[in-house]
Amino acid sequence: MRLSTLGRMGSAKEDEINGNAIVVDGLCKSFRIPREKKLTVYENLIGLLRGGACSYEVLLALQDVSFSVKHGETFGVIGPNGCGKSTLLKVLAGVLYPDRGKVKINGKIAPFLELGVGFQPELSAKDNVYLYGAIMGLTHKDVEKRYDEIMAFSELKRFENMKLRNFSSGMYVRLAFATAIQTNPDIILVDEVLSVGDESFQKKCGEKIEEIRKAGKTILLVSHSLGTVRSLCDRCLLMKSGKKVALGETEDVLAEYKRMRKESG
Amino acid sequence: MWFLEYRELIKILTISDLKVKYQSSVLGFAWSMLNPLLLMLVLYFVFSNVFKATQDNFALFMLIGIISWRFIANGTSSSISSIVGKSSLVTKIYIPRKVLVLSTVLSAFISSLLEFLVLAPLLIILGAGLSPYILLFPFIHIVYFFIVYGISLILASLYVYYRDLTQIWDVLMQIGFFLSPIVYPLSTVPPEYLKYYMLNPMTVTIQMYRDVLLYHQTPSAWDFLFTLTTGIAIMIIGSAIFGKLERRFAEEI
Repeated sequence: MRLSTLGRMGSAKEDEINGNAIVVDGLCKSFRIPREKKLTVYENLIGLLRGGACSYEVLLALQDVSFSVKHGETFGVIGPNGCGKSTLLKVLAGVLYPDRGKVKINGKIAPFLELGVGFQPELSAKDNVYLYGAIMGLTHKDVEKRYDEIMAFSELKRFENMKLRNFSSGMYVRLAFATAIQTNPDIILVDEVLSVGDESFQKKCGEKIEEIRKAGKTILLVSHSLGTVRSLCDRCLLMKSGKKVALGETEDVLAEYKRMRKESG
Repeated sequence: MWFLEYRELIKILTISDLKVKYQSSVLGFAWSMLNPLLLMLVLYFVFSNVFKATQDNFALFMLIGIISWRFIANGTSSSISSIVGKSSLVTKIYIPRKVLVLSTVLSAFISSLLEFLVLAPLLIILGAGLSPYILLFPFIHIVYFFIVYGISLILASLYVYYRDLTQIWDVLMQIGFFLSPIVYPLSTVPPEYLKYYMLNPMTVTIQMYRDVLLYHQTPSAWDFLFTLTTGIAIMIIGSAIFGKLERRFAEEI
């Protein structure tokens, strides 16, 4: 992705020398959860008349989280539900703005928070490949060059002129994954999207991820599946209620996670 | 600049928007042209027979008004939901969110251009003819685009927080339709109100379209500068509001 506009590209030379792909420093993010959701002008006016000041609770989704990921590393983020993993991923992807702290990304980043973002059901598969490619930061020429490969990988060549709304969900995801994988990023963020399609396609995806990993790309993986984390990740971050609990070698962190789960029953 | 960096995406989003708009109905583009023509016929009948409006080429006079009004009406009403309607592009991936608003307005801009294109033969058939002044048309249209884009930025970002804005805006647009000289000539406006009436940039814009298309004359430089300044001011204000509200888009959608 071309994220330079955000000013998030690391300019610090030391990171380049240390070989850090992602540097997160003292990251904080809170959400406002209103007691009463006011979504209209009308409700806001009524609220003003009643005199009740806008009341909301603050949820601290990330509290002072710091870590760094080296180039070529596969890094896992684990933790129970609601621990802030997804929030962290969204901040890294540039979707959410942090309240405090710094995020530095060195290189082209492709977030796979969800596959098929922006797909238009009313358009043909072919049009959607170009659309999705553009969203993921590819130019028209790039997509043109890789189009055959995308179609071959997704095994959907004969459906290329069919409207996407007639696609099954499996076909949908296959097309999305095949396109997304062509963006050739330096860093990819993955939020448990590996479990897509049928078994044979899953295997193909797994192989592709392995191939990307071997090619020296950086992968940040958020997952519930400890098996996946163990087999893929070099290092891990364990989080609980928005805080960093453990950071280090995968085996150590996984052991810590198991202990934590036993304690909480 | 973000719109240069993301021009490919803007182009492709605009084209897909147009494709979806015109593909989903059998008659496609014909519908978007039939709509202003039928509206013109009804209004022509009402105003020329019931109100006895006296205006040369009243049919063309109204048609130019209606077609120019349609850009702001369609442009703002479709871009108001351009952020909320494409929520996955906001919450699941990073792209400059202005891209979504810009591509929606651009698609309305192109539709509007096509409608003006259909107007050209009607100008000849109904006896107004074409003149070299038509060369000034692109300038007016671009300034008009600034106005619509600026308003759209404000609306699209506010709509994320206030979901009844569409209803409010619908009413405001209906009021605006009758506060602009679309179905009646400027001469019917009472002179004591004319000063305030002319502050409406839509009034000036529509008058300029009529100058170059119907009356074959150069619009006054003052009018052009007025709309240009308004357009740029609205765009700056719109960008500022959008930039401020954008930070919490992903949380609010």
